Amino acid sequence: MKFWKRATAAAAGILLFVGLAGCSNSSASSKKASSSSVKQTNVTLWAGGSQNVKDGMSKIVSAFNASPEGKKYHLNLEFILSGTSAASLQDRLVAAKKAGQKKTNYDLILASDSDYAAYTQLGGKGIFEKYDKSQISNLKNDKATISAGKGYLVPYRGTTVVLAYDSAKVKNPPKTSKELYTWIKANPGKFAYNTPESGGAGAAFLQTAVYNYLPKSALTSSDSKWANQWDKGLSLLKSLNSYMYKSGGKVVYPNKNQGTMDLLANGQVEMIPAWQDMTTMALTAGTLPKTVKMTQISPAFTGNLDSLVIPSIGSNKKGAEAVMNFILGKKAQNILVDTMAAIPVIDQKEITSDNLKYIKGLNAKDFRFSSTGDLATQLIQKWDSEIENGVK
Amino acid sequence: MKKSDDLKKKWAPYLYVLPAFFLILLLIVYPVVTSLNLSLRDKVTSHFTLDNYHYFFTDQVQLNNIGYTLFVAVMTVVLALLFGFMLALYIRFNNNGLSKTVVALTILPQFIPGLVAVYSMMLVVRNGGVLSRIAQSLGFTFNPNLMYSANGLIMVNLWFNIPFAALLLLASLANVRQASIESARDIGADKWTVLLKIILPTTYKQFFIAGAFVFMSNVGSFTTPFLMGGNNPQMLGVVLYKEFNQYLDYNKAAALSVILFLLCSLSAIVYVIVNMRKEKWR
Repeated sequence: MKFWKRATAAAAGILLFVGLAGCSNSSASSKKASSSSVKQTNVTLWAGGSQNVKDGMSKIVSAFNASPEGKKYHLNLEFILSGTSAASLQDRLVAAKKAGQKKTNYDLILASDSDYAAYTQLGGKGIFEKYDKSQISNLKNDKATISAGKGYLVPYRGTTVVLAYDSAKVKNPPKTSKELYTWIKANPGKFAYNTPESGGAGAAFLQTAVYNYLPKSALTSSDSKWANQWDKGLSLLKSLNSYMYKSGGKVVYPNKNQGTMDLLANGQVEMIPAWQDMTTMALTAGTLPKTVKMTQISPAFTGNLDSLVIPSIGSNKKGAEAVMNFILGKKAQNILVDTMAAIPVIDQKEITSDNLKYIKGLNAKDFRFSSTGDLATQLIQKWDSEIENGVK
Repeated sequence: MKKSDDLKKKWAPYLYVLPAFFLILLLIVYPVVTSLNLSLRDKVTSHFTLDNYHYFFTDQVQLNNIGYTLFVAVMTVVLALLFGFMLALYIRFNNNGLSKTVVALTILPQFIPGLVAVYSMMLVVRNGGVLSRIAQSLGFTFNPNLMYSANGLIMVNLWFNIPFAALLLLASLANVRQASIESARDIGADKWTVLLKIILPTTYKQFFIAGAFVFMSNVGSFTTPFLMGGNNPQMLGVVLYKEFNQYLDYNKAAALSVILFLLCSLSAIVYVIVNMRKEKWR
């Protein structure tokens, strides 16, 4: 019997402990809220992504806090590393909104224009607040145009898929998609693209090959009628299949963006579709030979515009707008080019970073976007079954 | 007082088992049951269906994937046991500086993270990698062609599993009494006879056990086939990842998990049967 007494005592102890922990948690958060009511107000920026985004954003944050605006607002960064809980920022924000929370510290978040659709789909249009143009004087320098969320999203950096090639072996890189396909056929085994599901570079190659045959509007539509018109592009890719990189006599589509980049680095292939920022970082780190160069073909591979947006449940709109204004400034844009090899959204004449030489000729202005929703997954599935699983 | 002591004796063992039991219930039984349930439902209507299984056993691509996975796993088991046994024999019957170094090296792979090991291996064996460059500096072209092929996968699996198999087999070799070997030698037995009549009968059980473990850890492996495997056929671990993460077809993914689970149970059954068999000879 003694034993049971002890067991209940232990259980009661555990309950008590959990209760206390819960209390201490809530008291900590109330302390945070009270400290924000002093003169200098807090702005919290929520971001997610890879390590390079974290590095870039941390620098932006400390630069903002050191700037004159930093006296009025103190910027904090909350970062969620992708892979650990990737969809979590979106989940958290939508959940907080649905739970009817107000005045949270979701003052400002990072989102791309394709994310925007998902946010509004899940959390309703009221999940974001329109920015006040008059508060963001640098907006006039923003050259980027977004495909969705006008008035809400402030695009601040771009990245796109380009053609990376070894200039020592390829003297005249293709300028158009037609020239690229001809080049592939003329140089069997010297081109590779990664499996579209494992990385955006391969996905952009697949998407543009298919959508180049379709009207422009198809690329930003999730209407399933366009799926009936994929055949032309897919049969083009089928005809290219036997000219792809081979290992041991077998055609190979490597996994991940890094997979094709390794092949380029080892001289196994001469040309690949690759992310411009990833290629630049590899060039500056020396993991790609110096002879590797980048070029964009026409019509272009698709890219991404990353933006800042203010959730409606935030508590410091003025501060958020000050950050938006800062990130469009010359200083912040230079930091982004430096740390992330981002394509700046302001005039490239304003950029003094060394990385500029890698992004010359790439403008956020003439980016090609895609936002096809569920169709993107279906297209990849189609590619898997018709091309990856063996061309018949 | 006497009565409560009895009660304690009766219930205490169950109480000790309880935490582990709940953990198993929560982390193994519950997911298995939900997967099983999910795998028997239609993606859209959630009605009962066998289509998800039907797909994996009729679709030619998926049949190839299953066959390929079994091929890689079985080859890994056979070769790991063969080489592992040779290694274990060497370590057991040689006691010198070299054999001690070999023991240390055998343990090493267990401490290297899988991802790091696979990447280092890729660096060496890929076409245009270290081996190719050495060959090039000697004046000839050589491409191992191990990337994106079954041979490469099996090779990396062996790197992980030979030491593991050797350690397991070594434990059973320790049971072979030196006295038995010496007496056999005294009455004129040669090395082969010692191996066949004394060593193998003592250790054969451990072969099945080591084999079962190696099979289980390789049939559902992901890292190596994802990084080194080709596009077609693919190992089931990668197929599962795609069903779940890319196609978001949770029902098919669940069906495939159950199939993988059944494949693993095969080796678990071997393990249990071997373990329960009574020792005939010692």
